[in-house]
Formats: sequence, C-alpha cells, structure tokens
Amino acid sequence: MALVKVEGLHKSFKDNHVLQGVDFSVDQGEVLAIIGPSGSGKTTMLRCVNLLERPDDGSIEVDGKVLCAPGPDGKIAFAPRGEIRRAREEMGMVFQRFNLFPHMTALQNITEAPVNVKRVDKAAAKARARELLGAVGLGHKEDAYPMQLSGGQQQRVAIARALAMEPKLMLFDEVTSAVDPELAGEILLVMKRLAKAGMTMLVVTHEMGFAAEVADRVIFIDHGLIQEEGPARDLLSKPQQPRTQAFLKAVLERAPMAEDEDSRAAVAAPDETVEEMLLGHELHHEDEEEEA
Amino acid sequence: MDFEFIIEEFPGIWEGVPVTIGLFAWSLLYGTLGGLVLALMRLSRFQPLRALSAGITWVGRGIPPLIILFITFFVFPELGLTLERFPTAVLGLSLWTAVYQGEVIRSGIIGVDQGQWEAAEALGMSGRHYMRRIILPQGFRIMIPPYFGNAMTLLKQTSIASIVTITEITLLAQRVISFKFVSLEPLLTIAFIYLVLNTILQFAQMGFERTFRLRV
Repeated sequence: MALVKVEGLHKSFKDNHVLQGVDFSVDQGEVLAIIGPSGSGKTTMLRCVNLLERPDDGSIEVDGKVLCAPGPDGKIAFAPRGEIRRAREEMGMVFQRFNLFPHMTALQNITEAPVNVKRVDKAAAKARARELLGAVGLGHKEDAYPMQLSGGQQQRVAIARALAMEPKLMLFDEVTSAVDPELAGEILLVMKRLAKAGMTMLVVTHEMGFAAEVADRVIFIDHGLIQEEGPARDLLSKPQQPRTQAFLKAVLERAPMAEDEDSRAAVAAPDETVEEMLLGHELHHEDEEEEA
Repeated sequence: MDFEFIIEEFPGIWEGVPVTIGLFAWSLLYGTLGGLVLALMRLSRFQPLRALSAGITWVGRGIPPLIILFITFFVFPELGLTLERFPTAVLGLSLWTAVYQGEVIRSGIIGVDQGQWEAAEALGMSGRHYMRRIILPQGFRIMIPPYFGNAMTLLKQTSIASIVTITEITLLAQRVISFKFVSLEPLLTIAFIYLVLNTILQFAQMGFERTFRLRV
C-alpha cells in the first residue's frame, strides 16, 4: 500500500522551473533513494513531501491524508495549517545541516517536540530519548550541546530527534554531505538499521553504496523530471538512460560531468593551455631549463 | 571646581535619580513590549499588519524624541487621552524607543538560521510554539548588543523630560544652575550620574551575553 503518493508536482523558484511534473509513490516499509545531479530538483522534491516547500501544482497524499491537490478552479489547494502540522508529526525529517537547536542539550532537542507537540508525559519522553540516544550510540552525550558534538554525532542526534515523534515515514536530505567522510559511516549504519527495522524512508543521497545496499528502489531525477526509476541494483549497475550513465560515472569515477557548453569546452581543452591559464604565465618545463 | 558646593547641592539633585530611573525603566519595559508587538506585526502573514508596523516605524524613527514627547503632552489630550504628567512622559519615551527596539527584535528573529525554522516546522510545532521555544531564545543572543545600545540611548534621552518639567536630574540640575548661578558643578554631577547608570547597564549587557552564549 502506498504511504506516500505524489502526482504532477511542479515547483518554480522565480524563472527556475525546478520540478516539472514529478510523480512517484512510496510503499509502506519501502526505502526509496533519490539521486541526481546538483540542481536537479531532488531536494526540492523531498521538501515538498512535508510541505517545507509549497508546490505550485500537483497533489501530495501521505498516509491517506491529502496535503495538497488541485482545487475545483484547477489551482492548487492546501490542507488547513493544523492538518499539515499533524501530518508533519508523522514524518520525521533529517537535514543536510542537522539543524539541531543549539540552545538545548541533545536530550532536550529530542524531548522538545514529543513533550510540547504530542503532549507526551515528560518522564516518558525522557526515557524514550535516552533509549534513542543509546540506539544511535550517543548514550553518554545526553547533556552535550550541539556545538560540543561532531557533525556525525549531531546528525545522529537529529535522527533520534525525528524518531522520537514516532513517525510513519522518514525523510533524509543528503544527511552525510556536511560531515567529514570518516563520520558518514556511523550515520549510514543507523539508517541501515532503521531500514531493516521496517521504517519507510525517502532518502536523497550521493552515497551510491548506501543506495545499492539499502534502497529497494532508486529514482534518478534531472532537469526537474524523473529520468529513470527502478530496483536499486538494476538502476545503479545497468542504467538505461545516457544521463543516468553520465551521472553515475561522474559520482563513482569522479569523471567531469561537462554539464554545459563552457565546462564541456574546458574539459576538452588541451591540458597545457589550461595549465598556463591557471598559473597566469607560460609553463617552464624542467627539460628546457636544463638546456638553458 | 567647588567640591563643597557639589556635596551641598547633591541631595537636591539626588532626589531626581529615582525619577530618572523610573522614566527609564518604565519606558524600556513598555518600549520593549511595544517593540515586540511591532516586530511580530512586521513578520505577520497579514499584509495590513505588516504595513501598519512599517508605517509606525517609519514615522517614529523619522521625528525627534522631543517632538514625540510634545505630541503626547499637547496633542494626545486634544484627542481625549489625558494622563498624569509622569505617565505621559513615559508614554512618549516608550513610543520612541519601541520603534527602535522593534527593529532590534525583528533583526534578532530574522537573524536566526533558516534551518531552525524548518526543523521546528518539520517536527509539527505551531508558529506560536517555535517562536517561543526555538526562535526567540536564539534571537535574544543576536538582540542583546543593539538592545542595550538602545537602552543606553533611552537612559540619556530621559533628560528631555526636563523640558516638560518632569523633576528628573537634568531639571533639578538646571534649577541649581538658575538659582545659584553656577553651571560646572551641577552639570558634572548629573553627567557623572548618567555615566554610573549607563555603566550598570553595560555590566548587565555583559551578564546577558554570558548567559545566552552558545555552549561550545
């Protein structure tokens, strides 16, 4: 059964048509990875699901509740604010830049919403927060303030904060992109376990290894449209579309994408010409110097 | 400089200190509350509220505090608002400082990282909830220096209440000057009092900055 159903999603920022009609759905318990180049619209697509970004057109349904849909006049209509708030309680979100509340300890970050939004008993919320901190390997850090924690630790607190609301769905927005590479592994491990436990997850990521291992399905998005979609292993090992192939080559082999005319020209230019441009003067070759 | 004269006249001027402090404290209190209202109006989703707040701020910042004081003393009564002299002075100073503190509060609120609003919204918090629990506590840290800057300006500006004959220290000093024909000593006395009061404010600012610093 589809937990999330999105149809005909459009979103523009000024003249930039970021989403140009996106349809997708996520089943209960499914892990869907969204990949795509920078500026492809993948983050916007994720942020539309909990309406942090308000789409210009299209419909979004989460757990049977319609958050937005075209109204009788054809223009998009949104659910009342209160309903959107309640829907958000069911969707945990983890951000690229953690966004922990810096004036609260790790424990307070986690208990704030359960206590003050869901009206959970304070002692019960604390006990649950401690349990969650233990699960993400930070049992000893409950009194630490976010700035006293590493990026990897902050992000795991952020995951615990989202889980404390007991969401039906988790949204992950490039959650390892802002942490040092050696700290990404512990975040990914938590996510892996969460996926195994049966959490429904929407994951925008550049971690192809993670997508291959954990995701059930992968969506490749570029230029505001879903270009390719399929089971994770198929799409990542045998991409059908040339754009998907170029993107995966760029990510996995660090091959230059050459996404527009200027960068294609730069990539194609002879090495020596560009080297001279970079230094601002002619190259002195060692062999020439030896001759002189 | 005649120190004996200062000691002799000091009690008379000292009587105005509670009045100066009272003018300052009440005006700061109401000015801060007014400023908070102006800031929240300016950030409202409702356009007329935003426009009203912007208009009040525009006028309030554009005219001298003395003129605002005159307006509360001479124009408001004609509009049917008659208060005692002291509350009228507090009203004028409050209106004047509110427009400045409003901008300070607004800049503190919008200075809080966008990600904080998003995290709060994503957790299902209502606007009232995250403003109170997430945004304002962080905004305070940004507001403290300019807020105290305005507060110190307000403290000094309470001296204009002497023009509408509130018996604060500046008026009492002027009386000494006109009755005793000496100006240096009374002026130095009140300058010193303003300086001491503002020094206290400066220490308060340091205390607040320590309290609201981020734990690193």
